[in-house]
Amino acid sequence: MIGRIVARALLAAALALLPAQAGPVPRCDLAPGWTQQGAARAYEASNLFEYMDGNAEGYLLYGFVAMHGVTCVHGGDSILIDVSEFGDGDSAYGMFSANRDPRLPAETLGAGGQVTPRRVIFTKDRFYVELAANPDKDHTPALRAISAAVEKLLPGSTAVPAALAWFPADGQKSVRLIPESVLGLRLLRRGYVAEYEFGKAFVVEEPSPESAAAVMDKLRARFEVGQASLPVPALQLTDRYLDRLCFILKGPYIVGYANVAEGNDPAALAHALAARLP
Amino acid sequence: MPDSSRRNFLVAGLAVPAAASAARSSADDPKHDAAPRPPLAPPQLRYRMLGDTGLKVTSVGFGCMVTSDASVIERAADIGITYFDTARVYQSGNNERMVGAALKGKRQKIALSSKSGAQTKAAALADLDTSLRELGTDHLDIWYLHAKTKPADVTDELIDAQQTAKKAGKIRFAGVSTHSGQTDLIPVLAANPHIDVILTAYNFSMGQTLDPVIAAAHAAGKGIVAMKVMAGGFRNTKPGDKLYNTFKKDGALLSALRWALKSADIDTTIPSMTDMDQLDENLKAMTGGFTKSDEVLLARQLERIAPLYCRMCGQCDGSCAKGLPVADLLRYLTYADGYGQFSLGRERFLELPAEVARVRCDACSTCTVNCPHGVRVSERLRRAQELFA
Repeated sequence: MIGRIVARALLAAALALLPAQAGPVPRCDLAPGWTQQGAARAYEASNLFEYMDGNAEGYLLYGFVAMHGVTCVHGGDSILIDVSEFGDGDSAYGMFSANRDPRLPAETLGAGGQVTPRRVIFTKDRFYVELAANPDKDHTPALRAISAAVEKLLPGSTAVPAALAWFPADGQKSVRLIPESVLGLRLLRRGYVAEYEFGKAFVVEEPSPESAAAVMDKLRARFEVGQASLPVPALQLTDRYLDRLCFILKGPYIVGYANVAEGNDPAALAHALAARLP
Repeated sequence: MPDSSRRNFLVAGLAVPAAASAARSSADDPKHDAAPRPPLAPPQLRYRMLGDTGLKVTSVGFGCMVTSDASVIERAADIGITYFDTARVYQSGNNERMVGAALKGKRQKIALSSKSGAQTKAAALADLDTSLRELGTDHLDIWYLHAKTKPADVTDELIDAQQTAKKAGKIRFAGVSTHSGQTDLIPVLAANPHIDVILTAYNFSMGQTLDPVIAAAHAAGKGIVAMKVMAGGFRNTKPGDKLYNTFKKDGALLSALRWALKSADIDTTIPSMTDMDQLDENLKAMTGGFTKSDEVLLARQLERIAPLYCRMCGQCDGSCAKGLPVADLLRYLTYADGYGQFSLGRERFLELPAEVARVRCDACSTCTVNCPHGVRVSERLRRAQELFA
């Protein structure tokens, strides 16, 4: 009997730390006084819809693998913890970047976090973590304590995606991983977009320089423009919705700026951005 | 006791992320990729009245949930799409802000809806005020109670919140959105004089199962908005899946949209759109009716998936004489067959009670489970047992 209990405890401990496709399982005893209410949650791509209806689609788009969650209670308070695992760190950060409020300050938590009185989101490696507290009051101390403990539970790096460093920090309002159709263009499948007061910077990475060049050709055909006289293959145009924009090809990357305000040179901006890429 | 469901999660204001659309068309479809942007020719738009609201809306609206670039929404409004839908929780509020920016200056020309998943009157009204602020408007045309699945979810308190908002001029019409449980919920909503609009998942994979309740609600004057009209019926698919790749071929998505629009009881639809190509494609659904070729195309898709694809409708619950949790087993099989995650499927199977895991369908001479959607249940269960046991 004791052996069985020990075996179960070992199994539970192993599961809690196992960086399997289902990811680490959050626990309520990560903070003193909190106990688990009900069964732990576990969802995969095929049944996430049951948990959050149509919103599940957003997780799938970013390459969702699995989610493990628990509900913790302490007195009359409850905190839900959901740890979602994605295919890679970029995708997990993408989820975070899509859901963070760019108007609020970032928090030093994992690779990036945000803490409000009833809510925490953060990302670390291939994991995206959400905590929500009830009832309506300031839960910040408890949320911070549990978030920090969950962050320690997660394996992997706290490094942010390398792409973030490509975008100038000065005047940057937000930077996001767009999982498909960057700038609303299906040609630009997946890439980062950083918003500034004067426009939007973007970087789309193709599998190879050849495929990137092919995309540029298609862009040129789509917008029916010729090649701009720039030192690298580029095209510059004005679009009704994307306004003044410029695309530059650099290796496997298509980089540029869109919706560039008057007084700024789209080509110069795009060229400067391209120079920051490897 | 607190409810650990995601709906309560939403009340707490936690992020519910940006959504993807399994409905979007191929990103690598060369005929779209290479096509030059056509001039903004005036498309042929079709309008329908939204129940008894008096709102005249295009039969194809715009579901903004997955849209990441405002330019797509802006262009849709310029083209003449008149109905745009978002929700407080999409992208943790980022979506409402983007929609508001995209529709700035166009507000008077369009009908705008948002939703709240709050469970109390105070929280719902607080959500509404936030939605109005983020959207940059002083009113919503329709404000939905978000993602209700059973009549008890639509509480008097939430109805009261909608009525309070209506009296304050913050909303014009009150609605309820639902993804499941419609056969029980929609009749109750139809009978509720305070509900003006019903937003429901509705697509061809459901067959005719929802048509009677939708028709009755429409006859009662409720506006009917269809969502998940395309790949929403294949919610488990995602880019990269075999099923997704199959479904998106040959204009099947457009056919699926046309299927929804052939019902006179559907006033408008809100397909998700992420790019200009998707927008152009969906606009075609307004001008072209549901044709024989659409029917053949969808039938082919259904035929391909029907014997295998569990809709998780729950109608088989308790119907196995041996007590097998049929829907669960089919889901485990999907992990292996649909997603190539054999170990996950087996792991779930082995978590079943021993007496359930021991059951073998081969031992039964007849199967008591009849799937209303045509899934070959016993065959699939046998496969699950062979694979996992």
